[in-house]
Amino acid sequence: MTTATEEIGERIVGLLPRLRRFARSLSRNQHDADDLVQSAVERAWKHSAQLRPGANLGAWMFGIMRNAWLDNLRAARRRAEVPLPEDSGSHPSVSPADTDAQRWSVSEAMSKLPEDQRLAIALVLVEGMSYKEAAAVLEIPIGTLTSRLARGRAVLAAALCDEACSNKEGGDPA
Amino acid sequence: MNYDDETLMAYADGELDAVQRAEIAAAADADPELARRVEKHRALRAQVAGAFANVLDQPLPARLLSAANGDTVAVNDARAPRGGKILRFPSSGTRAPGPGWGLREWGAMAASVVLGVLIAWPLFAPSDQGLMVARNGALVARGVLANALDKQLASDQRREEPVQIGVTFRARDGGYCRSFTLRGTKTAGLACRAGGEWQVAATGVADIPAGQVQQAAAALPAAILSAIETRRAGDALDAAGEENARLGGWDR
Repeated sequence: MTTATEEIGERIVGLLPRLRRFARSLSRNQHDADDLVQSAVERAWKHSAQLRPGANLGAWMFGIMRNAWLDNLRAARRRAEVPLPEDSGSHPSVSPADTDAQRWSVSEAMSKLPEDQRLAIALVLVEGMSYKEAAAVLEIPIGTLTSRLARGRAVLAAALCDEACSNKEGGDPA
Repeated sequence: MNYDDETLMAYADGELDAVQRAEIAAAADADPELARRVEKHRALRAQVAGAFANVLDQPLPARLLSAANGDTVAVNDARAPRGGKILRFPSSGTRAPGPGWGLREWGAMAASVVLGVLIAWPLFAPSDQGLMVARNGALVARGVLANALDKQLASDQRREEPVQIGVTFRARDGGYCRSFTLRGTKTAGLACRAGGEWQVAATGVADIPAGQVQQAAAALPAAILSAIETRRAGDALDAAGEENARLGGWDR
């Protein structure tokens, strides 16, 4: 029988691949994403006493990730006075057939979304959470989640359409 | 019937109940424009999910494994009653320069390598499968297990091997010990060299939460961790140390 602390460690290790993916969909590069995961996991340990036995560790961890990410953004903005990511930059021309380029395009398009929408998209489309699960992580009503999701999707569809819409029935690249 | 975009989005996301799903599916069959709108939602979902899917298959950085185990957060002292302490090797001493992975990292990594193939979890009985025999009061490795312990290097092993080697280290009596996991089971074990054979010092059942079969990186079972802790005389061998030990026939 393992102690409670040991078990938390094992379960957080088990969550790491998904936390990294979630972070990667929020950040622009893998290094920033891993920094985010690390700070969130450290935060989780500091507050692990709050975690009741039987609590949903996954939802709790994703909630901490969200808070850590928002805090990072705020701090970065204060430091650099970076404007809100509203202005759309120019897309370098890329071939839609190139998987890396597609990855890059999605990442680029995601980074232009307002934070609320980016979180909703990341949890539902990337992490595959149900609306109910995602709403719980974000601590918002389901109606709010669906409207953020719908708006985020519309922006993404428009941004990615430039490259992908021409081949309509093209199917998904393997 | 006209469906708004949020409804179609929820449909594509699998959020609608069976009745609504059937309705929309029927309507989309009869209405190519509706079908196209549904398809757009599905395609976008697939495209966004696909863009980040590869992250799951990437190896986990050691710094994240340490953080996840609570090793980077200040805890009181080295004797804190935490499981996480079991595998923290002292970094002092003159052995093995270079990036030393503690047993914990090796254990987590070895387990994560094995997990992709774990589907059914028959409880392992040591006498089964000809992997171990009892002799003079000890369990001795046989067959593919003995073979893997003799020849396989953790630093260079294929996922398909029936036995996956975890960590190798020197025991206090000077002999070598190696941890292993058996593919297709939840079983992990520790074998130590004695009398020219591998004696199985401990076996245990890895605790892998249901539903995380594909992704989880589980730690070695507590029984193995404590068996390692009881025996180890120092750090885990690195790749070169492991290979040297093999070249020497695992003699002390």
